[in-house]
Amino acid sequence: MEDYTKYRLKDRGELASVLSDTDHLFVVACNKCFKEFTTEEEPDCAAFIKIAEEEGKSVTGSIRVDFLCNKTQTVRTLQDMIPEGTENIFVVSCGLGIQTVADLAREKQLPVYAAADSLNYTGHHGMALTEKACGACAQCYLNVTGGLCPIVDCSKSLINGQCGGAKNGKCEVDPEKDCAWEKIYRRLEKQGRLEEFLHQPVQLRDYSKVDFEYVNHYVNTLRQSRLDGYYGGVHPLERKEATEHLALQPFPEPETVAIPLSMHAGAPATPVVEVGDSVKVGQKIGESAGFISSPVHASVSGTVTAIETRGHATRGTCPAVVIRSDGKDTLDESVQPRGSLDELTPDEIVEIVREAGIVGMGGAGFPTSVKLKPAKPVDTILLNGCECEPLLTADHRLMLEYADDVIFGLRAILKTVGAGKGILVIEDNKPDAIELMKAKTADYDNLEVRAVKTKYPQGAEKMLIKHILKRQVPSGGLPADVGCVVSNVSTAKAISDAIQKGLPLIERAVTVTGERLKKPGNYMVKIGTNTKDLVDFCGGVDSEAEVTYKAGGPMMGFVLSDLNVPIIKGSNGIIAVDTDHTVEQPCIKCGRCMDVCPMELAPLYFARYADDENWQGMKDRHVMDCVECRCCEYICSSKIPLVAKIKAGKAAVRGMK
Amino acid sequence: MLITEMKSKEALLSLTEGKKVFLINCHGCREVFFPLEETEAFQKELKEAGQVTGTLTTDYICNPENLQLRLKPHTEEIASADVVLVFSCGVGVQTVAAQMEDKTVYAGCDTCRLPGFQGVTPLEYNCNQCGECYLNLTGGICPITACSKSLLNGQCGGSKDGKCEVNPQMECGWERIYRRLEEIGRLDALKCPTQIRSFATDDAVAK
Repeated sequence: MEDYTKYRLKDRGELASVLSDTDHLFVVACNKCFKEFTTEEEPDCAAFIKIAEEEGKSVTGSIRVDFLCNKTQTVRTLQDMIPEGTENIFVVSCGLGIQTVADLAREKQLPVYAAADSLNYTGHHGMALTEKACGACAQCYLNVTGGLCPIVDCSKSLINGQCGGAKNGKCEVDPEKDCAWEKIYRRLEKQGRLEEFLHQPVQLRDYSKVDFEYVNHYVNTLRQSRLDGYYGGVHPLERKEATEHLALQPFPEPETVAIPLSMHAGAPATPVVEVGDSVKVGQKIGESAGFISSPVHASVSGTVTAIETRGHATRGTCPAVVIRSDGKDTLDESVQPRGSLDELTPDEIVEIVREAGIVGMGGAGFPTSVKLKPAKPVDTILLNGCECEPLLTADHRLMLEYADDVIFGLRAILKTVGAGKGILVIEDNKPDAIELMKAKTADYDNLEVRAVKTKYPQGAEKMLIKHILKRQVPSGGLPADVGCVVSNVSTAKAISDAIQKGLPLIERAVTVTGERLKKPGNYMVKIGTNTKDLVDFCGGVDSEAEVTYKAGGPMMGFVLSDLNVPIIKGSNGIIAVDTDHTVEQPCIKCGRCMDVCPMELAPLYFARYADDENWQGMKDRHVMDCVECRCCEYICSSKIPLVAKIKAGKAAVRGMK
Repeated sequence: MLITEMKSKEALLSLTEGKKVFLINCHGCREVFFPLEETEAFQKELKEAGQVTGTLTTDYICNPENLQLRLKPHTEEIASADVVLVFSCGVGVQTVAAQMEDKTVYAGCDTCRLPGFQGVTPLEYNCNQCGECYLNLTGGICPITACSKSLLNGQCGGSKDGKCEVNPQMECGWERIYRRLEEIGRLDALKCPTQIRSFATDDAVAK
């Protein structure tokens, strides 16, 4: 890999003359980008300070910053960093960083000086920093030249053939270099395309193609869309078209179900049935085992055949109650309507929700009853109908087909926590759901439907709060700290079922999809149904080779090495996608992970620190704030498994106390 | 940082007419730019015409190691195609072409340059990487990129009402520089000696 440095310190003579009129300097140095991440200590900052001191200048302080040109992060980093008594700022960076600082320093009325010159890399593009080059001429000639670039490879950038000056296949300008046109000729000969080439009309290069005005206009629009609502995020292909128009179908009654005792955050439930017991639909089979815990219920009627350890989509393995269905679907006597929303008190609703085993169905599985008793006053409920994960459409269909239940659930949450306003947030790739929900909520003054631009991870709790309410959940804090509670639309529907029908959480909407699956669809599936049954029912995959199965979506889903795991309360999807074959490459500090991290962290350091087992470093860089949305891993040009490294770091930091 | 535009449909049809095609899409820089709608529409037509032997939609094909691993499952589809059509920047097309020298590899896109290339959030600032930073003399506004003529020693005199004579939509870079210097009390910087730009090659600058 080429060692790129983006800038080079100006020479001593020029620096001495710039320094001559200045004193009391603060130095801002950029840590350089697009180079292998081998050191955190770039020498240029110290070298400049040494020169300044030798020139008899006093330095008030210095700071080294990653990606100085990343304005959002730089504003925050430089805040309150410049000490009293500073009269001049010197920037050691490329021109982008210098201009960023110059603009920021205007408020402080401090002059900003460049201590470095930017180096020209015209032609070296592409994320992987190979020696291949592209001149970005806006009129690609590769179709004519067999895939070798005449602009970059030929010293003279000739586009209509050799200049005639080459000797023994070497360029006359640079004898070290092979003649590009000879290479092009050989390549075309190999492909039998010489005739085609000789009949090409003469090529003319248009130097007006790269238009600053066009680029600037484009940059401005792009910036707006990238920073819409919250910093960062990504736009993966949505791939929802296979299932978004397919109505939710009841999944056929499974012969047996394996209901894990842990489908929630906190302590696993304690089984309250024994092998051989007959159970009915909605009967409690596991009791909540603590404050942060949740009961579990039978999703079929039949006989308990085992209580044993089974595979689990997110936990590896987990004790589960196995029930053989009698196919009768007999409801338990306890399943009775609990009364009207007007009559029920908030405490009664919390108790109903707790007894119904309702947990966050967006995936995290936090017990909803705990969320409904926030420690701080709450003014707003955000109901998450974003479904920002690609491929998944279960929440979308649920909003279309159970709109009244979702709204009832939202009203129940509002009443329980005493919040004045409920906002249902839906991404603009679901216009039908937005329209329907707007019509259905029109009569409620305290309910609102908000359409937001599609951007992953829009539905992440903290992003949603920042975008809609412009509030920032403090590091380590909960939504209630900023006066709100976030819940998922599926959870709202489950709350509605628990109150209106008395039915505990025993089924959920699941999307079974992916480009490798033969017959994708959306299903209402009993909790405990085997994932393999779902895949088989959907026609299986076209061929088992090169298929990756995930529980959840492509971004945050868990890879399933074995399909023999039950559907749990947080299972919003099962996907079968192409296996991607890559090997991890060294980090090249492209800065993309920092650009897309919605929590405004620096994931490249997590990768480095995890490899060095530097857990304190992880902690200092706020690894615990990571929401594991996988944006950094998705965008990583070096294919570094960042989330696995972050998870290892989090586990180590938790164990540090 | 690069942006790509799809070549005209006519140009691409002339390359693919009557041929079997293997398609490669590189979405590595999609957060910067990728002409998604146009390429999807064009590829749909090719598929409907039965010309497509297979498609690989992936990212960072500029990385040869990973590209090789990702091409492997498609070996047969590529073998049965007459041409491989790549929708990516020029780097990607060349990386693909180098891995199948006996195959005709076509570029589906033209590549334009974005000034500066850090991360995915394009910047409101431009840097032409000229190798001899003038920002010290200009209050932190780059005369190479902010002035249409890249003048280094002051305004050309052609601006009208603060607008550039080359592009009336654009503010005169030197008027902006003057105002900035005035704002920070550094108009004396204009008294510096005449600047001469070195157009030496990249290699010379790097040395």
